[in-house]
Amino acid sequence: MANAQYNGYSAMVNDAAFKSNFSIATQKVSTIKSDFTQEKELSLLADKISSKGKFWFKKNNQVRMEYTSPYQYLMVINKDRVFVKDRQKESKINTRSNKMFQQINRVMIDCMQGTVFSNPDFSTRLFENKSAVLIEMTPLTKGLKEMFSHIILVVEKKDFSVVSIRMNEASGDYTTIRFINKEQNVQLPDNLFSVN
Amino acid sequence: MFNFRIIFFLLISSSLFSCSRAPISDSYPLAVGDSSRVMQFAPHFGRALYQTSVDVVGNHLSGLLLIKRMPDSSIRILFTNEMGVSYFDFEFSKSGLFRVHSILKKMNRKAVKKTLRNDFQLLLMNNLAGQAPTLRYHNGHLYHIFKAGKGFNNYITDSLQTQLLEMERTSVKKVVVNAQMLNFRNGIPDSIGISHTGFEFNINLKRIYDEETAE
Repeated sequence: MANAQYNGYSAMVNDAAFKSNFSIATQKVSTIKSDFTQEKELSLLADKISSKGKFWFKKNNQVRMEYTSPYQYLMVINKDRVFVKDRQKESKINTRSNKMFQQINRVMIDCMQGTVFSNPDFSTRLFENKSAVLIEMTPLTKGLKEMFSHIILVVEKKDFSVVSIRMNEASGDYTTIRFINKEQNVQLPDNLFSVN
Repeated sequence: MFNFRIIFFLLISSSLFSCSRAPISDSYPLAVGDSSRVMQFAPHFGRALYQTSVDVVGNHLSGLLLIKRMPDSSIRILFTNEMGVSYFDFEFSKSGLFRVHSILKKMNRKAVKKTLRNDFQLLLMNNLAGQAPTLRYHNGHLYHIFKAGKGFNNYITDSLQTQLLEMERTSVKKVVVNAQMLNFRNGIPDSIGISHTGFEFNINLKRIYDEETAE
């Protein structure tokens, strides 16, 4: 949805102050460990595909997403390399040669690392309520526009941690990843992010 | 990386150059039987979600395939990757008409859409009503041969029509696709395999059960 306004949120008055505070706060976060739920809402089919799993992030540019239910799927991002393990196969992908993966990779990392505002592939608008800030990201490049109409990032005001990422498609369908049981700056072994 | 250009070329050229077994011949004996009994094997998709993998000439793609019967009895087939990015959304109307609601630009090629449409139509068996198949015996199996475009969709059962063994799509000269639906539960197959004979293009579906699955 390309709302000028989001329910429960109003346009942020002082963008600059938030961006600065967000940047400072995220610089202090070296790791994130979390559970997640994912829901893909299919508007025309009146249906929903739900899954859940575990999420790990480590500076710089390292993400591990492990889907555990109702299917098993593992994706590890380590800088510009991606390791994927599905039901049948393990694959290594160099994002330099795969633009789609590169773009999704960058979105995921930016959301966690707090670098969304310096990504030239998106324009942003900010909204807020008492407890959270909503960052509306509008893709500017052709490849991203084909996949997403907007990406909506919700960040908690108290600690600037990511509550959810919602990827809106032009069709009206959207996928929301919600992060729960979040822990910041916990010790994470390097081998969690191994792509070898 | 998934190289779509190579795939388009292969989809087009496979019909010209591939070497695969000849389809059931007109010389095989005609069989007498109740040809409508083959429809007992048509899957009854209400809603089914499959973990899906696609292998095309060394390229591997995985995701989730949702097959859903809509209130107007049309069937929607939606393929998405595990993170929710949609690849395509197809519709087969009750009468078998095909409509593309959305498709990723890189896949939006006539040959790709036609191939996928034919593959899914072979499985859905939703355009066979009113058609009388030709029945032939071969190797102890009963072939139910339906005209489908320029080729044929064959449904192969045991001689007593108690079990659907295999499905195949053929051109006039050769078998181009083999497919199987296995382990039905409430009219919905647990596993589906589609294999093209001209070049490596295999689709494997394994049913998964999520919160929306009504059992």
